[in-house]
Amino acid sequence: MAAFFKLRIVRDLGVALIVVFGVGSIAMLLARVSPIDGFSALFDGAFGTTSEFAETLVSATALLFPALGIALSFRAGLFNIGAEGQIILGGLAAGVAGYLVPGPPVVSIVVTLLAGAAAGGIWGGIAGYLKAKFNANEVIATLMLNVVAVLFATYCVNGPLHFPSANEGETPLLARTAWLPTIIPDTRLTIAFVIAVLLAIALRFVFTRTVFGYELRAAGEAPDAARRAGIDLGRVAVLAMTCSGAIAGVGGATIVTGVLHRFNTGLSPGYGFVAIAVALVGNLEPLWIGVAAFAFGILQNGALSMQAEANVPRDIVNVIEGLVIIALAGRRVISARRST
Amino acid sequence: MNETLAALAAITVLTLVKATPLIFAALGGVLGERSGVVNIGLEGVMTAGAFAAVIVSGATGSAIAGAIAGVLAGAALAAILAFVATRLAYDQIVAGTGVNIVALGGAAFGLVLIYGQPGASHEVPAFGPAGERVLTILAFVLAVALALFLSRTPWGLRVRACGENPRAAAAAGIDPLRTRFWAVIAGGAIAALGGVYLSLAELDLYSDGMTAGRGYIALAAVIFGRWSPIGATGAALFFGFFSALQYTLQRAGIPSELMQALPYLAALVALAGFAGRVRAPAADGVPYVPDNVRA
Amino acid sequence: MTAPVLALHGIRKRFGAVLAVDGVDLELRAGEIHALVGENGAGKSTLAAIAFGAVIPDEGTIEATAPVGLVHQHFQLVDRLRVWENVLLGREPRRGWRIDRPAAYEHVRALAAEHGLDVDPDARVEDLPIGVQQRVELLRELDRRPGVLLLDEPTAALAPTEIASFFRTIQALAANGTAVLIVTHKLQEVIDYSTCVTVMRSGRVVATFDTAATSTDEIARAMVGGELPPLAARETTAPSVRLVARGLAAGDGAGALHDATFEVRAGEIVGIAGIEGNGQSALADALAGVQSYTGMLEFDGAPMPSSMSPSERLARGLRVIPQDRQHEALVLGWSIAENVALGRHQTPPMRRGIVIDRNEERAAAQLVIERFDVRPPNASAMVDALSGGNQQKVVVGRVLGAAPKLVIAYQPTRGIDVGAATLVQSRLIEARNAGVAVLLISFELDEIFALADRVLVMSGGKFAGSFERASIDRGRIGALMAGAH
Repeated sequence: MAAFFKLRIVRDLGVALIVVFGVGSIAMLLARVSPIDGFSALFDGAFGTTSEFAETLVSATALLFPALGIALSFRAGLFNIGAEGQIILGGLAAGVAGYLVPGPPVVSIVVTLLAGAAAGGIWGGIAGYLKAKFNANEVIATLMLNVVAVLFATYCVNGPLHFPSANEGETPLLARTAWLPTIIPDTRLTIAFVIAVLLAIALRFVFTRTVFGYELRAAGEAPDAARRAGIDLGRVAVLAMTCSGAIAGVGGATIVTGVLHRFNTGLSPGYGFVAIAVALVGNLEPLWIGVAAFAFGILQNGALSMQAEANVPRDIVNVIEGLVIIALAGRRVISARRST
Repeated sequence: MNETLAALAAITVLTLVKATPLIFAALGGVLGERSGVVNIGLEGVMTAGAFAAVIVSGATGSAIAGAIAGVLAGAALAAILAFVATRLAYDQIVAGTGVNIVALGGAAFGLVLIYGQPGASHEVPAFGPAGERVLTILAFVLAVALALFLSRTPWGLRVRACGENPRAAAAAGIDPLRTRFWAVIAGGAIAALGGVYLSLAELDLYSDGMTAGRGYIALAAVIFGRWSPIGATGAALFFGFFSALQYTLQRAGIPSELMQALPYLAALVALAGFAGRVRAPAADGVPYVPDNVRA
Repeated sequence: MTAPVLALHGIRKRFGAVLAVDGVDLELRAGEIHALVGENGAGKSTLAAIAFGAVIPDEGTIEATAPVGLVHQHFQLVDRLRVWENVLLGREPRRGWRIDRPAAYEHVRALAAEHGLDVDPDARVEDLPIGVQQRVELLRELDRRPGVLLLDEPTAALAPTEIASFFRTIQALAANGTAVLIVTHKLQEVIDYSTCVTVMRSGRVVATFDTAATSTDEIARAMVGGELPPLAARETTAPSVRLVARGLAAGDGAGALHDATFEVRAGEIVGIAGIEGNGQSALADALAGVQSYTGMLEFDGAPMPSSMSPSERLARGLRVIPQDRQHEALVLGWSIAENVALGRHQTPPMRRGIVIDRNEERAAAQLVIERFDVRPPNASAMVDALSGGNQQKVVVGRVLGAAPKLVIAYQPTRGIDVGAATLVQSRLIEARNAGVAVLLISFELDEIFALADRVLVMSGGKFAGSFERASIDRGRIGALMAGAH
């Protein structure tokens, strides 16, 4: 059984690697860059120095949060494609709460993280409620909510939540007490990384040991049997989407409190979508998702160097990530509760 | 009195302009879904159509050539989804999401490669007002044609059978995988026209993210329109109206973001209000795997 | 001896770990009505699918000198389309680029009249009762003028009068030269209507008979390979009322429940006899809490309103063995242990706070494995690797192991081998002896007669008759099932 499991992971990861190196090489050649130069710029940018390695982990962390949330929703049979919006609103809430609530660092950190979780959770919960009450297609709902989230955040930050000390389209710079402490000095790597890893471990426990995780998995894999066994599918939908959104929201909060130290509508360069690939590569298992997030962190962070040093437009990384998602769409772990 | 008439005329025109790309995309979605494949990748298909149209129009100087290129690009992208959804029987929603990311990333990559600048392309030869109107009329003509195709022709009947019960279609000697494959590609070609309209009719360039979720609104239009071409067209007009409203109301001092959100909020409301009461094609979104007989 | 129209030689087919067909030779000749019998899991449906060409065998040859048609056990019809659209799908008459509707309608009307099948070409299949839907499926195959017609369990959903009319059609076809193969487990129909019989067991042909020269007993013995194991003995019980239903109604359209009034007592098995599609599913789903209903329902003296959740019903001791184990009872990707916990996971001892008690889960699973002889006897084994019989044993075992007060057993032995079926039936009797109230809904009359203390007949969504065990009248029950009063 364990050997078989490894075999499938190996095969799927093999496909992912072929996509990365194959498509990446083609793109590099199109940009008139030799793949060797391109990839060495990429990996150099990811590992070259301590600060670059730290930066890779920062990217990995930013991906790990939404990926865990997406995995949770996928295991419940729901597609949370709205992590992007949940990240943004979570970041907004943290940016505002961190500014408005002064106090010792512990208080600030807890408040901002909770604010992020609450905002993301509500946003995810809306889609969950629509699904539970009206059987509304959560894919379209979360996609719509993504766009609305960006518009809403822009409106807030330029209107009712605009503070005099802030730049256009941003919240004010947070006081140092509200900044997440770094774990490697002079880098942007903060305890957010630790929180994410702990969250992955906790999620694994939830999936394998708790009643909530048990019911969630049953609802995702065999909804009719789950319903007859006394599981309330509507409640699972709302809870799963809310938790999923909350986790993504915490991710947005940590970007604000740990990296940017303020909220800005551009805080997520598509993390919510790339995280889908991360969740799939990790086979929806929290610990493997951690490994996948690291791999994608390499891609994301290395791509910036690749663009700067080797002149290969960084968008090719998005193409690669999209192809990885397509290639791994056959993962058996995905089974959706079909609605209209 | 003349003022209100003028205002009404202006809104009508604006509605048609906003709705046309939605109609194309929704029709493409209807064709695919009636055959049993959910195409979340419409957004990506429109992106591919918009981008390819601009590139070719810029290179050849002909908007028509650009339009043709856009259609072919959309069909090609849809072909990826079609293959993955039929022969490989992968999850259609996940694959469609991947297609969108590939298209957006590919277009951004192409922008830098070809124009040397990120963000947007140069201006290219585009359709003038006459061309815009032709495209809008084409959208309505396609709607009627698709409706007739589905309800009156043999191939339309087979598409519907594959979307309701592919096993039954197979029992009748039809290949559901091949039918779905071509339906998705044809749907992609139609939807790509929506992208072409965006980049060569409404504007005359391509910019990152210009589709702005229209592909997803089109899916809501498919549901709202009960998977019928005429219904989806009506729903697309409805959403286009909200888009048009945004421009008119902006002058009334309401914050622009709230107005921009109108079509998306309308889609959400439509989902909530209609989702439970309409029936999708029974096998919509369910991969068909042949040779599945158990003892 | 004339040449066969269809000849299968050396057919072998494996599905994963299961060898469904293990070296089968079969020949069909024009004009014969050839019955293919065997218990569930013997391989007959697979063989028919192979003969039709829907399934490719791993080994063996198929030779057909005429077109082959197959009427499936579960109809392959597109519900939303009309009758004529289903019959002519893929071969539609055309006028230019359109379908020639009047021609299509006329073609189907004439075809139906030719075979004496009464059906409206313009009706939507989803609006038709099951018996008529089958005619549509039959017409679709007949339109291709098959020289060989295969039918898989064709009378499962037909009333006795419809069965007679169905076989008249079949006999007319055979008289016209068609070779007919009927996969069935209804031995009386085999004796009444077929010309020859092939018996399969465990994927092999074990006997062939000339129908005129054999009997149901001989065929049954060949099917089972010996005598049936005996059922558990019944003991006397002191019944007290557990479930009362008055005027229960649920669902709409065909198959709705209109007016159910009955009682079930502790320590008795009430058998509900009836043809599939007469309200049984609506009744079972209503009692399980997944279908809303009107009317009065009382469990253990307390009201059980439609709004009561399945979770609440389980907590009160009302448990269900559902009709479709793969979709309604099991999570196929989970282990036996995790499946045994399903439905018992919300309360102690299986639940410990926010966590599932793994030791409890394993212990409960071991209990089920032992009491029900589940193979392989490994609580960590994935349920989708189990045979149908073993899967069903897991479902029944977890229900009976939860100390239920009332068990609704809906087709508890559907599609499983005779050994597993007898074991399940014995366990149900033992539960009854121990004071559990059992409501048995089954489409197999033999099962009802073997288990029930009282037999109720369902027809058209209503209860039509009630019989004590000692005074069962088969003829009367059959008539009531068909709709007599």
